[in-house]
Amino acid sequence: MGGPQYDFLSNPLGAVRSTFEKAMASVSDPSSFNSGDWGAMDLFTNFLFDQSHHLQVPVLTPASMRWIKPNTLVRFRGMIQDMLGNEFYVGAYKDGAVWRTNKFMDVSQFPIGPSADTRIWERRLLYCVPVPGLNSWAQIPSEAVTDQCMGWKSEQREKRPRAEAECSDMTVSSEEDQGSPTTKKMREGEQPSLASQSRESEIASSSFSPAPVPEGNSLHCLVKVYDSPESELKLNEIFEFVGILTSDPEIQEDNVDNDLSNEFCEDPLRHFPPNKVVPRFHCFVHRKLAAHDFLQNNPIIEPKLDMVKGIREALLRHLTAVLGNDDVAAHFMLLHLLSKVHSRVDSLAVGKLSLNLTCFSKEIVSIFGNQLNVVVKNLMPFTHCIPLTVEYLNTASLAPKKNYETNRLETGALQLAEGSHLIVDETKLEAGTLNSLGVENARLLNNLVEWQKVEYDFKYYKMDMTTDVQLLVLSEGKSNILPADVIVPFRPSAANCSEAVTAEALEAWRWYLATVRQLPHSIESEMQQVVENDLVAARQADRSLNAQDLSRWLTMSRLMSLSFGETSLSLEHWQMVKELDRLRKERLK
Amino acid sequence: MFSGFLASDFLKNFADINGESKYMNILQDVANHKTRAVQIDLDDLINYKDLDEEFLRRVTENTRRYIGIFSDAIDEIMPEPTEAFIDDDHDILMTQRSDEVADGEDGSDPQQRMPPEIKRYYEVYIKASSKGRPYTIREVKASYIGQIVRISGIVTRCSDVKPLMKVAVYTCEDCGFEIYQEVTARVFMPLFECPSTRCKINNNKGNLILQLRASKFLKFQEAKIQELAEHVPKGHIPRTMTVHFRGELTRKVAPGDVVELSGIFLPIPYTGFRAMRAGLVADTYLEAMSVTHFKKKYEEYELRGDEEEQIARLAEDGDIYNKLARSLAPEIFGHEDIKKALLLLLVGAPHRKLKDGMKIRGDLHICLMGDPGVAKSQLLKHIINVAPRGVYTTGRGSSGVGLTAAVQRDPVTNEMVLEGGALVLADMGICAIDEFDKMDESDRTAIHEVMEQQTVSIAKAGITTSLNARTAVLAAANPAWGRYDLRRTPAENINLPPALLSRFDLLWLILDRADMDSDLEMARHVVYVHQNRESPALGFTPLDPSVLRAYISAARRSSPSVPRDLEEYIASAYSSIRQEEAKSSTPHSYTTVRTLLSILRVSAALARLRFSETVAQSDVDEALRLMQMSKFSLYSDERQRSGLDAISDIYSILRDEAARSGKTDVSYGDALNWISRKVSS
Repeated sequence: MGGPQYDFLSNPLGAVRSTFEKAMASVSDPSSFNSGDWGAMDLFTNFLFDQSHHLQVPVLTPASMRWIKPNTLVRFRGMIQDMLGNEFYVGAYKDGAVWRTNKFMDVSQFPIGPSADTRIWERRLLYCVPVPGLNSWAQIPSEAVTDQCMGWKSEQREKRPRAEAECSDMTVSSEEDQGSPTTKKMREGEQPSLASQSRESEIASSSFSPAPVPEGNSLHCLVKVYDSPESELKLNEIFEFVGILTSDPEIQEDNVDNDLSNEFCEDPLRHFPPNKVVPRFHCFVHRKLAAHDFLQNNPIIEPKLDMVKGIREALLRHLTAVLGNDDVAAHFMLLHLLSKVHSRVDSLAVGKLSLNLTCFSKEIVSIFGNQLNVVVKNLMPFTHCIPLTVEYLNTASLAPKKNYETNRLETGALQLAEGSHLIVDETKLEAGTLNSLGVENARLLNNLVEWQKVEYDFKYYKMDMTTDVQLLVLSEGKSNILPADVIVPFRPSAANCSEAVTAEALEAWRWYLATVRQLPHSIESEMQQVVENDLVAARQADRSLNAQDLSRWLTMSRLMSLSFGETSLSLEHWQMVKELDRLRKERLK
Repeated sequence: MFSGFLASDFLKNFADINGESKYMNILQDVANHKTRAVQIDLDDLINYKDLDEEFLRRVTENTRRYIGIFSDAIDEIMPEPTEAFIDDDHDILMTQRSDEVADGEDGSDPQQRMPPEIKRYYEVYIKASSKGRPYTIREVKASYIGQIVRISGIVTRCSDVKPLMKVAVYTCEDCGFEIYQEVTARVFMPLFECPSTRCKINNNKGNLILQLRASKFLKFQEAKIQELAEHVPKGHIPRTMTVHFRGELTRKVAPGDVVELSGIFLPIPYTGFRAMRAGLVADTYLEAMSVTHFKKKYEEYELRGDEEEQIARLAEDGDIYNKLARSLAPEIFGHEDIKKALLLLLVGAPHRKLKDGMKIRGDLHICLMGDPGVAKSQLLKHIINVAPRGVYTTGRGSSGVGLTAAVQRDPVTNEMVLEGGALVLADMGICAIDEFDKMDESDRTAIHEVMEQQTVSIAKAGITTSLNARTAVLAAANPAWGRYDLRRTPAENINLPPALLSRFDLLWLILDRADMDSDLEMARHVVYVHQNRESPALGFTPLDPSVLRAYISAARRSSPSVPRDLEEYIASAYSSIRQEEAKSSTPHSYTTVRTLLSILRVSAALARLRFSETVAQSDVDEALRLMQMSKFSLYSDERQRSGLDAISDIYSILRDEAARSGKTDVSYGDALNWISRKVSS
């Protein structure tokens, strides 16, 4: 393991420092880097991805938090929930005659003299949370993590002398400040139960109540990102960060004795839970994740046509069985699961296909509702379910809201990662009065369905954030709160005939859904002519058709050909779409 | 001190456009205790005749230091007071102190020497140059530290104004000396032992007592500003920044204000223990130097340098009327006449106040009526975006305050307070009301008053008042049965009382007609969007909303009048409309004096678009044509065909084409060509 001369996994900062020194040898002034990179990043990218050491890096989870050593390389997967702006830090300073850097560190290793020559650089603070609604199958299995780290730990023990020598200066300085026994225990990782207990009690007694504190088993992380273009990391996107965890109690102490200004936080982190609860993470390399990154054994196979067809048949059979032999609903369900917003034209979200299954009476819900939920959970990596009631509408906070007291964005139920699946169960909705919050929430849901946008409340103004959420609405009649693109009356003919599903089949389906939806799509010019003529003819025949209906047909035809793994529309698939829509319309009558 | 010399030279010799020496006048006011703030405008420095580029660069890049240099320079050149003013505590203390200094003991001790800061009655601010666009908060990077920057944002939080110690003054119990300590940071370590030479010689640890009355304090206020919504890139969270206001700049902002600030971007110096430990994180703040509130009215719209030029170029273009109209909501296909009408609504006509005090409104009111899904709401929202001051609301969706105004009980003080609704908030702007037909009955009655008298009167809970609501109403409504029913008469379809309808200058009906061409157009558009992931090209480049706004605000400055020779023309046009109506058995509209006023308003707006001070006959013709078209839109297809006046149609084609080519004479061949092309299309 390791690069030519650096021990990337156990002492990444060593690599950072030595590359810095090497780079400094050729330039006299670090401002020539302009807070930029001097080659360390490339080194890590090369090590992780080109030499594919990527999977050797241990993953940061609540469980592994206890034994992961600070200042060693770890991976963290999360969604960007909030952005805290830039942090200015002393990036480089002169220690005597030598320039040193503080990049990727919270505290400098050597004291900075008061009159030292310093360069202030900046880094971005991102508040990351585990992907909301992440299903258990998409999580990195815990055995794998421990296996990996056990191996890695023993390996590390062998290397101990060298590693110690290299990072002694750092660990010593931080250990001095360690007053609380908790950290020590956490570090040693020998009494995990005790450690977690005291950790929980710490959370309970923590005075930082206004900021959302991770609850239960989730791990929130404050990720510090260096030198990446702003447009690369956006809100609600899912990333894998590779970097180091700093465990340094100083920042937290500072928060306490920094109450000189009582109502204003000089320190943006002041309202933050201590870093034992929300660890600080310095990121070397980040990578955007898509649905197929969450597959367990991510097979990178070229989607072959006959194989895709086979999987499609099997999945459709399964969906039909789950939906009580309702073939039409199963077809729509398949298209719906493949949909994603592939572009935005003006305010229109092109490519979305929200589905409203109607005729869900009480009995049908009791039979199929749960089943449907389980199926979606098994197929999609991140799923949510909102049981819509008047009380829920009146009390829930759906839209994220900025809290100016804590300077944080308080998340709402509709702050969802790209590509999330959301089931809204409207069957439990009964007549009642909505208060102003309820009206607002209903409007938010409506906007989400119609424009794939959620309004974030910044008190002084609202900001539309685009989303990409697959919406499935279950209702008795047509839902008016959530005007979905497709309304399909549900007609089951058999009660329950879902057969057991093998794990392989599930995996194949997940792979299919994640891969096929990414395929490109085009319409050849002859086909385009046919489509145009058909659209005009349809509109001549039925005046009530509008642009949205035409747009829906095109979306469906796109999804139909994608579902077969094909990248351009064929006449056959276009006919299938028209037939499917005709069958649906017949039901609506 | 070379810089100090440059600074005092500038202050002494700078002359503004009127030749007055601006800064010496300010300093005289300071000497007379009339003002405290000395604002040095960097624009003045740039315009200064003996400008030293190097000096300017240093001032912008190391502003904090130069405030000190300017202060020292001002101390030197401060004129004697020319007027008597009442001594306050501060002055009395100062006279005492200068007497003591004259006694000349221990003058060499630095901590005993009076710091110049304590003598100063004034505060120096350096205002950033107003040239160019202000930065957004996210553009202010680490490299700007120490520099003066100009940023725009919205104030989200404000602290109370607190005193900030500037110079701490102590007296020693033993030697009786006054000891001064200048405070530069927000926290300071008080002195405990007297540092004076006498105490030192006597080896006497003199006990110091802080003299609050003698110390100098500054008003201090902290605020947070946040990026404006339009400056935040997609998929990002607005950034915030801390701002410190001192002295005269405190109490200038309140949460919710949109402001432009210039200030120095500074790191917060760490003090004491923390600095020694060298915490890595450096916090930053903006030391405010000037505050400007954003004005969002046409009348106060300031044109930027390049805009003036651009407008002049546009105004020369003969086709500006069409060009501007097309640039409104360019993504919405067709509806050219409606867009023209909306453009005129944005421009408006001048308000008239008659000698007897009667007011005639200049704002145009337009109502769009039509089938669901014909992009009415999008049109409305776009207009609101273009207008500098616009409120979008729905007839039903407005809060308890409603559209007009309401008296509400304040939950905290239990007092009755008057709260303005959407129409009052849109005063001097545009109020777009969607779902006009679904409005509350009470609001609908109140809107009658708003639309003609342009006020909202309220008599509730002991409060009787009248609020201004000088707003142009742009309404959108659905037909009575959701869809326009061609078998019924327009009056039946329009679900609004005639009294309200007559207040609209123009009323458009947008129908979703069954016609092969538009269907094909729609199908093509949808297919294109799906295939190319973008809207089809428009065939022209629409003008930027900011250019539109600038042009409109420039146009609104002229107030055209109707020349005498045109009066006859308008009168005859009006009477002929009346005649026609009388002849027809089933009148579809009510032509009243209001109609005449409408014609005048529309023509005045058209004249404004040409930056003309007089209304021309072509304006009146266009106004009549628009009104005619608006009426025709109310009839079904067949009736429109028969009702269309071929002559005026041809005339309008000729006029449009002539305007486009910028000629006044048209050859017969060209005319035939144009007309046949238009009619066939």
